[in-house]
Amino acid sequence: MSSSAGIVLAGGRSSRMGTPKAALEWHGSTLLRRSVGILARVTDGPVLVVRAPGQALPGLPPHVRVVDDPREGLGPVQGLAAGLAAAAGLADVAFVCSTDLPFLHPAFVRRVLRAADDGADVGLPVARGYPQPLAAAYRTTLAPLAERLVAQERLRPAFLFEECAVTRLNEADLRRDPVLAALDPELDSVLNVNEPAEYQAARARPAPEVTIQRFGALADGHRGPQAVRAATVAVAAAEAGLSLDGHVVAALNGDQITRDGQTPLVTGDTVFFLAADAGG
Amino acid sequence: MAAGGYFGRALVVDAGAAAARTLPLSDGLLRAYIGGAGLGAWLMHHLAPPGVDPLAPEAPLAFVFSPLVGTPLTTSAKFAVVAKSPLTGMLNDALASSHFAISGKLTGHDAIVVRGACRQPSVLLVDGDGARVIDAADLWGLSAAEAERRLRERLGRGWRAAAIGPAGERCVRYATISHDGRHAGRGGLGAVLGAKRLKAVAVRAATKVASADPQAVLAAARDLRGRSFGPATAKYRELGTLANLLAFNAISTLPTRNFQAATFAGAPRLAAEDLAAMRGVTRNSCASCTIGCEHIYSARAGKGGKGGNGGEQKVRVEYENVFALGPMCGVSDPDAVLAASGRCDELGLDTISAGGTIAWAMECADRGLIDAPWLRFGDADAVLRALDEIGARQGLGELLAEGSRRAAQRVGGGSAAFAPQVKGLELPGYEPRTMQAMALGLAVNSRGADHNRSGAYEADLSGDLDRLAGGREHVAAAIETEDRAAVMDSLILCKFLRGVFAEPFGEWAALLSAVTGWDADGAELRRTARRIVLAKRVYNIREGWQPEDDWLPERLLSEPLEVASGRIAALTPERLRAMIDGYYEARGLDREGRPAPASLADLLLS
Repeated sequence: MSSSAGIVLAGGRSSRMGTPKAALEWHGSTLLRRSVGILARVTDGPVLVVRAPGQALPGLPPHVRVVDDPREGLGPVQGLAAGLAAAAGLADVAFVCSTDLPFLHPAFVRRVLRAADDGADVGLPVARGYPQPLAAAYRTTLAPLAERLVAQERLRPAFLFEECAVTRLNEADLRRDPVLAALDPELDSVLNVNEPAEYQAARARPAPEVTIQRFGALADGHRGPQAVRAATVAVAAAEAGLSLDGHVVAALNGDQITRDGQTPLVTGDTVFFLAADAGG
Repeated sequence: MAAGGYFGRALVVDAGAAAARTLPLSDGLLRAYIGGAGLGAWLMHHLAPPGVDPLAPEAPLAFVFSPLVGTPLTTSAKFAVVAKSPLTGMLNDALASSHFAISGKLTGHDAIVVRGACRQPSVLLVDGDGARVIDAADLWGLSAAEAERRLRERLGRGWRAAAIGPAGERCVRYATISHDGRHAGRGGLGAVLGAKRLKAVAVRAATKVASADPQAVLAAARDLRGRSFGPATAKYRELGTLANLLAFNAISTLPTRNFQAATFAGAPRLAAEDLAAMRGVTRNSCASCTIGCEHIYSARAGKGGKGGNGGEQKVRVEYENVFALGPMCGVSDPDAVLAASGRCDELGLDTISAGGTIAWAMECADRGLIDAPWLRFGDADAVLRALDEIGARQGLGELLAEGSRRAAQRVGGGSAAFAPQVKGLELPGYEPRTMQAMALGLAVNSRGADHNRSGAYEADLSGDLDRLAGGREHVAAAIETEDRAAVMDSLILCKFLRGVFAEPFGEWAALLSAVTGWDADGAELRRTARRIVLAKRVYNIREGWQPEDDWLPERLLSEPLEVASGRIAALTPERLRAMIDGYYEARGLDREGRPAPASLADLLLS
C-alpha cells in the first residue's frame, strides 16, 4: 500500500469571498484547521499547507508543515508543484485539496487515495457534475511535471492530466465504497464555499452527528453511547460536560488518542472520553 | 550523615544461625540510591553472591525502607522487597503499602536483609532488641492474612508481620509477600522467603526518625494532601483501577484469551461501574494515604470463595487481577473472577502471573500440547481448579507453578511463542501492539514485563504520540517514565500520585531535601534515576542477562491487531528493534545493551 501525505492549498486570493477563506469559522474551528485535521486522520505521512509568501494562517497543530509557494497568483498547478515537491520522498501519494471544503469526509479521502494503489498517477473524482482536481490524489513524483507546466505557463490542471495516467472516479465509482456511501451519500465532500452566500449556507447546516461515550469516573452516571452534534472534539467534550486537559483525553473511533480539542469530527464518528491516568 | 530520614544502617540477618550484623550505609550511598527499590538494587549488588540460586539459603532478600517513611507525606508508607527473582533470575523489587513500612523502619534500620534458611518453619522477629527467630509450625499452611492475624494475637498488636501463603511455602515462582492485604506481588519473592522456611517477618517499632525541617515537611504534607484530592486521582478514588477495564476494551488495549485479542465481549460484565453497584462493599486507603484507591468487593459463595455456603469473602479488586483472571482467561462471570482473586490472596499468588500462566496453559490445551481437557478459555471453574493445583503444586500445578516461560520450555511445541512473558515475568494488562511506547518499556525493563517500573502507557494515552506507530518519540517517553518510576519507587511515593506533580523531579527533590537536609534538586534526581536504572541492568548482566532478553513474545510481533477504526496495529520486529536501539543509545549503552565500563564508577559498587 502506498504511503500518503495530505496537502492543503491555502494560497488562493479568496477574492470572491472577500476575506481569507482559510480563517473562516465553521462550528468551532476554521476551515483550514478542519481540512488539515481531516487529512491527518487518513494519511500516514506528513500534512502540509501551501501558502502564499507571507500569508497569515490561522492556528495549526504542531505536526503540520507550512510550505511557502514562491510564486503567488499562478493558480492550483503552481501550488500543486510546491506541495508535491515538499512531499516527495516523504510519501508516495498525496491527497491535495483546497481549504474551503467544510464537509470533506475521511471516507472520501480514503477512497480517492486508493486509486493510486491501482497504479494511477492521479485519482480524480468527478462529482456533482465536475472534475474535482482540488479534492484529488496525486503521486508525489508528479512534482517535476507540475513544475515544468508552470514554467510553460500551462497553468490548468487539465494540462497535467494530459501527460499522466489519470483514474477518473465518477459518482457511481465513489458510492461503491460502502463506508463512503453510508457517511457521505451526497458526496458533500467536494462542496466548496467560494462566496459569502455559500459560506452562510454551509454554516447554517448543523454540525455532524457523532456518538460520545464517557468511561470510568468521567461517566458520572451517564454511561453508554450518546448522540450529539459536534464538529470538533472540544465541542463533543463540552456536550459531555468535560474539558480536555492533562487528566482527560479523547479516543477517536477507538484509534488515535488526543487532547487537541480542534481535532475535527465528521458524521459517523465515535468519541470516547477516558481518564489519562491509567495506572494500575 | 543526613539530618533526617535515615538511620544510616541496614540489619543483615542470618535466619539459619539466628544471628545478625549491622551494615553501615554511608550518606553518599544513601544519597546516590535514596531508598526503596534504588537502595535495594545496591544491596543486592553488595550482598548477593554472583550467580546465586534465588531459592538457595545464601540468596538475600531485603525489606527496604525509604527516607519519606514515617513522615506525614501522603502515600509514603511504602516498602520495597528486593531479591533475585526465582521467576526471572534477575533483580526484582516489589512494593507494598502498609504500616509494616513504618514499623520496619522504626526498628532503627533503613533495610532488613534476610539470608540463610531455617530448619523448621519459623518467623523472623525484628525490633529494638535486634533479630530473633521463633517457631512457626502452627502457621505453616495458613493464608498470609490468617498467619498475620495469629501472629499479632501471639506477639501483641505492636507487631506487624509480612507473611507468605501456601504458595510461598511451596516455592511457587510467583508467590507473594503480604501485609494487611497488600502484596509485594511480582516476581515470586514469597518463594524466596518460603525457601528460607520463613512464614513471616515481623517488625515492631522501637524508635523515632527525625526530619531535617519538620515545618517544611508538614507544609509539604498539607499541600500534597490537598492535591491528592484533585482530578489527577479521581479515577482511583471513585472507581479504583478497575475503571481501566471498559476504557481499555474500547481502545483495543485489553489483552484477551492470552493476547489472541485486545477486546473482550464479556468486558461489560466485569466493569467497575456495575461491579461497584452489585458487589461493592467499601473503600479503603493504605496507611498514610489520602487517595483511597482500594475498592473492596464481596465474592459470592458458590464460586469457590472461602465464605462457604451462603457466605461472602471480601476481595480487594484491581484492574490487574480482573484482567488476568477474567479477559485473559476468557472469563466474564464477575463472581468467578472475584472468587479467583480471593483464591490468589489466600494462596499468596501474584494474580498477573497466575492468570497469564493459566491463559497460556488454556491455549496449550486448545492446541493439544498439554493433556488437560478440563482447562478451557472461559471456564471459571477451570481457573479456580488451576489456582488450587498451582498453590498445592499438584497435578498440572507442578508445571504451572514454574511460570509460563519455564513451563513453555518443558512443553515445547512452539508454545514459547505465545507464552505471555518477558524475562520470565508475565505481561500485565496493557496490549503492547496498541500501546507501542509501553511495548518498549516492557521489553527493556530490568524486572521484565512490568507496568510499574515502566509506565510508558502514560505516553500512549497522552495523545502526544501515535500509540500504534512506535518510533523515536516513544523511546524518549519510555525513558522518561522509567526514570520517574525509579525515583518514585525509591523515595517511595505511590505512583497514583504522579499526576499531581507539575515538575516532578524538582518537587520530589524538595520533599527529599526537607526530610534529609540535603540540597538536592531536580537535576540531581534525574541523575539518580539513571543511576538506579543502570544499577539494575548491571545486576542483571552480572547474573547472565543476554541481549535477547530485551524482547517481546513472538506472538506480539507476528500477529497484528485491528482496532475499532479498522486501522491495523502491527508491532513488527524491525520497529521494536529500532526502538530498543534508540533506547540503548539514549541510555549510553552499546548496541547490545551493555554499559561502557567508565559508567560503572558512578554506581558505587566497589
